[in-house]
Formats: sequence, C-alpha cells, structure tokens
Amino acid sequence: MEVHLEHLTKRWGKVVAVDDLNLEIRSGEFVALLGPSGCGKTTTLLMIAGIYKPTSGYIRFDGRVVNKVPPKDRNVGMVFQSYALYPHMTVYENLTFPLKLKKVPEEEQRRKARRIAEMMGIGHLLDRYPAQLSGGQQQRVALGRALIKEPALLLFDEPLSNLDARLRLTMRAEIKRLQMELGITSIYVTHDQVEAMTLADRIAVMREGRLQAFATPEELYERPRTLFVAGFIGNPPMNFTQVEVIQQDGQYLAVNPDMRLAVDPDRGSRAAGRGRVIMGIRPEHITLARDGEPAHLEAEVYLVEPLGRDDLINARVGKETHLHFLADPALKLRIGDRVRLRVDTSRVQFFDPETEQSLLWS
Amino acid sequence: MDEGALRTGLRPRQMYFLMFLMTLLTLPIVVGYLWIFISTFSRRTHGLIPVDIEGRPFRGLTLENWSFLWQDPNIWKVTLNSLILALGLTVGVVLISAMAGYALSRIRFPGRKGFLALTLILHAFPSVTLLISIYFVLRWLARIPVVGRGLPLIGGIGYNTLGGVILVMVSLQLPLGIWLMKGFFDQIPWDVERAALIDGASRFLVWRKILLPQIKPGIAALSIFTFIAGWNEFLIPYTYMTQQEKSTIATYINSLLSETAPVNYSQVAAVGLFQLLPVLLFFVFTQEYLLSIFSGGMKGGA
Amino acid sequence: MAVIEAERVAVEARPWWRRAWENLRSASGALLFMSPATLLVVVFFFIPVVLIIGISMTNMSTATGFQNWKWVYLENYRRILKHPNTLQVLRNTLMYVALTLAFFNVGMALVIALITTHIPRRAGLLYRALWLLPRLTPSVVYVMMWKYMAADAPYGIINRHILQPLGLATTNLLPIYPWVFVILVNGFIGASFGMVIFTSAIESIPREYLMAALVDGCTPWQRIRHVILPLIRWPLLFVTTYQTLSLLTSFEQILLLTEGQFGTMVWSLWAYERALSNYWGNFQWGFGAALATVLVLIGIVMAVVYMRYFQFEALIQEPKIETL
Repeated sequence: MEVHLEHLTKRWGKVVAVDDLNLEIRSGEFVALLGPSGCGKTTTLLMIAGIYKPTSGYIRFDGRVVNKVPPKDRNVGMVFQSYALYPHMTVYENLTFPLKLKKVPEEEQRRKARRIAEMMGIGHLLDRYPAQLSGGQQQRVALGRALIKEPALLLFDEPLSNLDARLRLTMRAEIKRLQMELGITSIYVTHDQVEAMTLADRIAVMREGRLQAFATPEELYERPRTLFVAGFIGNPPMNFTQVEVIQQDGQYLAVNPDMRLAVDPDRGSRAAGRGRVIMGIRPEHITLARDGEPAHLEAEVYLVEPLGRDDLINARVGKETHLHFLADPALKLRIGDRVRLRVDTSRVQFFDPETEQSLLWS
Repeated sequence: MDEGALRTGLRPRQMYFLMFLMTLLTLPIVVGYLWIFISTFSRRTHGLIPVDIEGRPFRGLTLENWSFLWQDPNIWKVTLNSLILALGLTVGVVLISAMAGYALSRIRFPGRKGFLALTLILHAFPSVTLLISIYFVLRWLARIPVVGRGLPLIGGIGYNTLGGVILVMVSLQLPLGIWLMKGFFDQIPWDVERAALIDGASRFLVWRKILLPQIKPGIAALSIFTFIAGWNEFLIPYTYMTQQEKSTIATYINSLLSETAPVNYSQVAAVGLFQLLPVLLFFVFTQEYLLSIFSGGMKGGA
Repeated sequence: MAVIEAERVAVEARPWWRRAWENLRSASGALLFMSPATLLVVVFFFIPVVLIIGISMTNMSTATGFQNWKWVYLENYRRILKHPNTLQVLRNTLMYVALTLAFFNVGMALVIALITTHIPRRAGLLYRALWLLPRLTPSVVYVMMWKYMAADAPYGIINRHILQPLGLATTNLLPIYPWVFVILVNGFIGASFGMVIFTSAIESIPREYLMAALVDGCTPWQRIRHVILPLIRWPLLFVTTYQTLSLLTSFEQILLLTEGQFGTMVWSLWAYERALSNYWGNFQWGFGAALATVLVLIGIVMAVVYMRYFQFEALIQEPKIETL
C-alpha cells in the first residue's frame, strides 16, 4: 500500500508537534522515521494509525484520503514499544483478538494463529499469559498479533527499545527478514540511527516536528543536506568546526586560528568566499598518518575512550579545535601524545552556519 | 516482629506503654461489639454479663432472640429489600461510574474538564443538605406513569419506592465512584487501548473487553464498598419510605428501638447482628480492598 | 498541490458553526458513556440545588399543601434570624463541630496514626482495622451499642461496670451528658477518616528523613514534633477542612441517638426535622429549605475552594487517543 502524507500538521494547543510534513512512501517500502525524542515521529505514526486526528493536511492510503477513517477500518498492524499485549488474555487470545473482532470463523482463527505462532517461534507459548513471558517473547507475540490480520501497512513504534542489546540484534534481523518476505509496507519509528540505517529502505529524519531529510541510508550518510542530519546520522557523530575556506595557490584551504587544511577542490570551491562556514568531518575519515606519510594536521591526544574494538580519541588541534576519531587500541595512545592525522578531504561536508543547510547538496 | 523506619528509636517499655494506651482508646469499640455478641445469645444482660430472668449472673444463655427469623414475616421482606437496595446500588454505581470514569479519563470531548471539576466539587459537597428538595424530586418522579410507582420488585423510581431510594443513593455515591474509576482507568497504559483500536475494536468494545477486565480489583473494591453502604443505609430509606418496619433492615431495627414499649435489647441486638454479619464477613476477608477505597476515595485525589 | 493548499486553508478557517458542529459530533461518542451519570447529576444535584433555593422562598408547608403556597421571598430567612432557637442551635452546632473535630476527627486520628506507626506493624494494622469498624457498622446498630453503653444500671455497661462498683449513683447517662455521647458517637466514626489519611501520609515520608532525625539524636517525641508533623501539615489541613464540612452537615447519628432532644439540636438536623420528620406531622418545607440552603451555600463555597486548593489541573491528564 502506498502512503502519502501531504502537509500533515498536528498541533496541541499552541505547540506544533508535526509541522507541514510531506512524505511519499512507496508500496512495499520499509521507511524509518528517525529523530530525537519529542521530534513528532510517534505523533506522525499515531496519525497514520488513526489514533490522533491531524490538525490539517491529508493522509492518503493508495490515493484515498483516510483522515476520518477510524483505526479499525484502516487495515494496519502496529507494534508498540511497551508491547501492549492484553494482560488478561493468553497468547492465543491475544493473537486471535483481531480475528475475533472481524468475526472470522473459529476454525480459520485456529489455523491462522498456528501458522503465525510457528512463523514467530512462539507455538509452545500459546496458553501462557503475557506476564509469564520474557520481553523478547512478548515482542514476538505483539508482532504476531500485528501480522495475523494480514495488514496492508505495518507500523512500529520503537519496538526494540525495551529489549536488551543482544536480543535487539536478533529481533532486528527478524523484523527485516519478515518484512522482506511478506513485502508489507512498513513505517518504523526509532531514535536509534543504527536501527534505522540497517532496517530501512529510506529514512525520514525529523526534528521539532519538521522533516529534515528523506533519503536512503547511504544518501543520508554521504550527502547530508542539513547540519542536523549530518550530526544525527553516523556513530560516533560527525566533527564540526568553524572555518573559512580560502583559495590560495590553486588550492582550497579550510582555515581557522588552529589549523589550515587543504580540502578537495570540488567541495572546497562551493564553500569558498562565504566567510565563516561549518566544516564537518566524520571520525571514520580521520586516520593516523603512518611514518613517512605526510600529515594534514598535528594534534595532541586530549581524551581516550576505549570502545572495545576501537579507541575513541578526542584530539586537540591548536588551541581549541577538538576532533574525534577512531584508533586501534594496540597503538596504546595516551593523553598528551602527539599525533599526526590524515583527513579524507574528499568527504568533508560544509554547512552554512545561519541556515544550517549544506553548501554541497541541495 | 518487623521494624519499620518509624518503629526504631523506641525503648520496649515505651512501646508497651503505647500499645496499652492504644488498647484503652480502642476499648469502647471492642466492648460495644462484645456486648452485641453476648446479648444476642442471652435472655438479657447486665452490662456485659448474661443474666436470666431473675437476674442471676452468667445464666440465661438462649437462642430465643433469633426467633424473629421465623416469627416475624417482616424480617424477610426487609432483608430482601436491603439486599435489592445493596445490589441495585452496587450495580448502578459501578456501571455508571465505570462508564463515566472511562469517558473522563480517556475520551477527548468538550466539557470533559468541566465535568471532572464538577465531580470533584460534588465529591466534597455535603449532599445530605439536599434531602429536602430531593423529596420533591421523588414525589415528582412518582407521578411518571408505570416507572413512577408501578415496577415489580423495586416498586418504581419515585417517592416511597425502593427504586427511588436506590436512585437517590446511586446519585449520592456517584461522585466518589466516578473519581475512583477515573483513577483506575488513568493507570492503564495508553498503548494497550491503542493496540485494541488498531486491532479493530470500537471504543465501546475496548472499554468492555480490554479495559474493564484490567481494573477488576478496583471494581471489586468499589463493589464491596458500595454494597456495604447500601446494606447499612438508614437515613435515605428512613426519609423516603413511609413504613419503617417494612422498608429495610436498618429502618426495621429503628422501628423496634422506637417502640413505646420497653425495648428488649437482646432481641434487637440479634437483629443487629443479623445485619452486621455480612459486613463483618466482608470486613474480615476484604479489608485490603476496602482500605484502598478509603485511602483513594476519601482523599478525593488530593 | 495548489488545490490541496486551498483545502487546507479552508479546513483551518472553519466558521464557528462548523466548529461547534464538529465539537458536538466528537462529543456524541462520549455521550454514550456520560449520559447516565449526567442524567443523575442533573436530577439529583442540579435540580435539587435550584429547587431548595426556590422552596426556601415560599411558605410551603403541610398547611398550604403543594397547591396553595405563596412566594414569600426572604421571609423564611428573616424568620430564622428572629427565631428564639436560632442562637442556641448555632451555638450547639459550633460546639459540636469544634469539639468532635478537635478531639476525634483530627486529634484522635492523629494520635492513632502516630501510635500505630510506632508500634509493631501487625499490631498497628489490627488497631486501625478496629477503628474502621464503626464506619462500616450499620448506623442503627452502632448507635444502639452506645445507647446500651449509657443505659441505666443494671443494664448499661458504664453504669454496671464502672459506676456501680465504685458505689456511685447510677442513672441513664444519655440525658445527663448528651453532648458527651453525641461527640463520642460521631467521633468514633469520624476518627477513621483522618487516621487513614494521616497513616498513609506518615508512611510515605521518605525514610531518609526519619533515619536522619534519629542519627541526629532526636527523641521519638522530638522527631514527631519537628519532622513528622511539619511534613504532614498538608493532609492535616485537608482533613480539618473536609471534616468540618461533613460534620457541619451530617446529622444521622444525632437523629438516631437523641433526635435532637436534651438540647442537642444542630443546624442540619433542625432543617431536616422541620421539613421532613417531626412528631406533629407539620412539615414546614419552606422554612426547612431556608435552613438547609444556608448549609448548601456553605457547602458549595467550601467545595469549590477545595478544588482550587487540591491542584485540580495536576490531576488531569489529556486523553492520548482522539478517535472514537
């Protein structure tokens, strides 16, 4: 099912929760709504589900405006962060509740429940009550309950946030597999950019009720259109420093009192002559220069945070410019060490400090 | 013995003194109940001591006081009435406040805040002051054909009918019920209700199939409390029903007490114990439920 | 796109009647749930409030019947002012409320709450349970216990077990000390309200405060005085005001105990007796309604004040579902 949001707006009194949101979701697509808490992503999802009424704008399912269609007639399935299982019903009763409401014959209910339970690996739990299940099992039941009525649209509201880290990985893979197998259009709300990047075909990044970007994960990572998106996507987050880009000897230099960095002319040329701009460098695009290799920057290790596989290094360039990057723990960098850094300057980003828009992509 | 935070810092002697003091303060209650029990099974009592006709102490134990159970036909009439009153009150209060409590807790509609404020005001408002004008309302309701005073079992809904008494009592208990029910509904997570709506239920179905089963303990507590209130009630039936000895147990006992002939306390105590018995059973077995109503309901949400 | 834009503007700039209609429609779903409660509230609260004020301005009584009454406007209120009993009843009422409140509904409640939280938990629970009994006991039976308590020797409990062994003169104590019994009867019921609230307030005081007080070397009494009481002053205020109103207007126990005889007539019973229940069968609805209206007005004012005080807004959450 295609889902189109047109100028969708939701106000609570004077507070604007969702502001003029436009989104076209293709049939069978898996879209993530990504943003920090309070950005309006869950409100958007609940409007699509029919729980909230839009203040203005339209929601279209396959072209039909559904603003006034009650949730029960929208043919959507939804999975909640809290699982939202009915505590007084067994797993079987939970699964068949949507069918019972549709007055599906008992025999068919049983057949469908068995098939879904098998698919979700909860066949042995049918007689239990939700309180007797682990978090992961509860989420499988919730997913099964959403799928059993064969919805045209699946909605996920941070379904993995309450699970522990290991289980989250398993469930993530499972959701992805199911969605690909069944081909149901899915909208997935999350504040976890890794979840969004791994699951979604396209990600809609939201902030304070507004859509910041709507693109594939690669696109968001490589060509962020706003400062917010650049900072929000990627882990550890992108480094930002204020620089001025000047042209000198046929080179483009990003300059501030702490450093002079020659940048890729393609990119540098777009930021040149604009006065102060914000330069963004992803930590993974900064590496330590090997012996004999020319360095772009010299810095002093300011802080070392061991992450296990890597050390996250906070290095100070000059007086007050700090850059984060990842280093091999085997190198045993210590605070105060002098390091020589190389920057993949063909991948730096530039933003207008006023509008926060990218100077490279629009 | 378990020691709470408050229970530290006292020497044993101080503690025993406190318990002694507490026992002394509670004595009148204990003595009162003791007397009821003793008196019920005695010809008569001198203080707490059972005596026989000649006044010899510790004699005269008898079951004769309970003969009202088979000798006075009115007792079964009033027992049935009290039962109908208590059950009708319970069903009415629980059902109506479960409905209104749900809407006030969970449905967005104009006037919601106003009604909630009103509920709170009515909860604090002393409704007994309205008895005089409610008398007029009931007389007026009695003039409605058939339902006014021509219904089986409850008589009708007007003046001098059991139904009228029930209706008045439901109304008086309603602010408490609504406020409590709203509180119970407030505690159910929204996602559960949203899930049910998306699964295809209407809000009415959600209320009945998903939410009501989840607040069963609250409903039980309110039911017990309301039942006891109905079973005990004296003033409303006394005021709005004309034949005391045929209305409810409470008015029946009062009619026994206000006879011009000297009151036979032992007999009245037996009837009193008869009325008290179900209350005591509830009290012993469902204290926690009752306490939850007292602490939640009395506070009025404060 | 332009069409959609226009439509959006149209939706936002709905005329007032359109909005009113939509409000009404969205209310209709709630109506199903609200209508029984609304109906009862209107019939048994709203109408009676209006009615009682109305009746208080008539001379309606058994003498006039329901047909031949006349509007007398404020005549009944003037009669109250001039009535020979008014001053006495007013004095009685104030005394009854003040003493019951001080000794039982607040005083005894506080004592019980403090003691039962200082003794072993199970014992505390037992005492509190016993104190709940009077409230749960049918009032007729409960008052009968007290009547027997006061009755003359050899029957009455006090006479038989206390006065007689001491060789004191025995008599029915009720007519002699009517106020003592009125206050005891009401007080033993009333104490449980404050008891429950104070107990839960005391038990919800963060333990660190109580521990800290002990560590600082407080005696238990100092701890009560300087830590516990200041921390529960809000519940204290609540119970005091709430119980003032309820004592002011309740009369069931007095009706059962003395029917207002022996000089125990209070305002609410006076109104009730005048309008609905007296020996002579002469019901003065107009005069009784005027007496009751005074209480109704006090009740409305105080109830509204409560609502303001108890942070009404904080108790309300906005519904998080908008569909019906």
